Amino acid sequence: MDKEQLILKWLDNNLTPQELEAFKALEDYEAIIKLSNYSQGFKAPNFDTEANYNAVLSKLNKTPKANKNWWTPVLKIAAILAICFGAYYYTTTLDTVIVTQLAEKSIIELPDNSSVNLNAQSSITYNTNQWTSKTREVSLKGEAFFKVEKGSTFDVITPSGTVTVIGTQFNVKQRLNYFEVTCFEGIVSVQSNDKKTILNAGQSFLIINNKTINSHPVTKHNPDWINNVSSFISVPLNQVLAEFERQYNVKIDAKNFDQNVLFSGKFTHDDITIALQSITQPLQLQYKKVNNTIILTRE
Amino acid sequence: MPKQLHQNICDKSLFESFFKTHAKNLHDFLFYKFGTHLNPEDKAQEAFVKLWENCKKVPPNKAKSYVFTIANNLMLNEVAHQKVVLKHQKTITTHHTNLSPEFLLEEKQYRQKLEQAIANLTEAQRVAFLLNRVEGKRFKEIATLLDISTKAVEKRIYGALKKLRQEIDEL
Repeated sequence: MDKEQLILKWLDNNLTPQELEAFKALEDYEAIIKLSNYSQGFKAPNFDTEANYNAVLSKLNKTPKANKNWWTPVLKIAAILAICFGAYYYTTTLDTVIVTQLAEKSIIELPDNSSVNLNAQSSITYNTNQWTSKTREVSLKGEAFFKVEKGSTFDVITPSGTVTVIGTQFNVKQRLNYFEVTCFEGIVSVQSNDKKTILNAGQSFLIINNKTINSHPVTKHNPDWINNVSSFISVPLNQVLAEFERQYNVKIDAKNFDQNVLFSGKFTHDDITIALQSITQPLQLQYKKVNNTIILTRE
Repeated sequence: MPKQLHQNICDKSLFESFFKTHAKNLHDFLFYKFGTHLNPEDKAQEAFVKLWENCKKVPPNKAKSYVFTIANNLMLNEVAHQKVVLKHQKTITTHHTNLSPEFLLEEKQYRQKLEQAIANLTEAQRVAFLLNRVEGKRFKEIATLLDISTKAVEKRIYGALKKLRQEIDEL
């Protein structure tokens, strides 16, 4: 039996008495025994199993047992998905709203390259996502001039009625007790009070105080307000004054006389004095300016 | 594969008997491998706490290697390959009172050499050697403890012995 085998057997505590004698006879027996004896000095500190078990138990009671139900992570994922979907849904269905204030005009390009000129104190609303090749819908409050690209039907929805067109240029004016549609090019269909009217180029449609008024043919290509002029043909004075207030952001006091008198004429949006004169002179009225209010009186 | 009596170790009495069988071995293993300054007692406790928290996932036959791995990892998280130094406790000289100063000096030097030599062993060698020499474990016990073959244990212990003797002679 060679030396390595003997030493291994001794290490494993597995020597027969004869082998032990042979091991003792080895030349490095002394050194090995010394090494072995001194190694005992590295003994691990005493491990008190009982005390350690109690320590572990106290730690176990302190650590709250996590609720490891399978559906908690599922719920978390579901909540995140719901939030994402909600945010997506909210942002994509959000309407685009464009509002003009008093004495302000605006030009808007719609998703199909149609353009809208928005007059003072008006608003249009449309939804880009629902704007498909089949439907084009714009909600309007106030007055706007549309240049519609050719394509599917184009609807302008106002509280007073719906204007449907295919590709054309037309003006819609919807104010308090006043609804006017003027067609400048193509064909426009107006649905108001369950009545449908077809307008050809140069025709206009006017309702004042729920009464349809036969209006005069139009020869121009644009509404006058695009060129900063408001023009009226046989329109009650209160509508004219309301338009004046919108264009100049002023108040007009005209309680002293009948405002239902009809007015035909124009006023500019650029000069308030000239505009006032163009309204007052034909009707023989006097005007006085007090702060932001204009008082009209009979001569 | 024999059918397991318990699916997991969540049962408290099962956990307790498991703890009592393996806790000391785990502690000794950690001590010999990493030394005393990283607090092997704490790490052993922590490993058993982890076992309890995850008891549903750990089958009983994997539990032992689970706590050993966890404790080992806990240690490795702290140790950045620091040199392991095991302090030699003077247990041998107690009953000799009339020793010559030369002998005492020689003994002190020997202890220092041994300390350094043991520190120079590989972790695997040191653990196997000390479990055998200090804890008096037989090769087969060490083999099950470390999940290696008896032959590998033999190799480690014999290699450790050879290296220690060489280094002590040289120093």
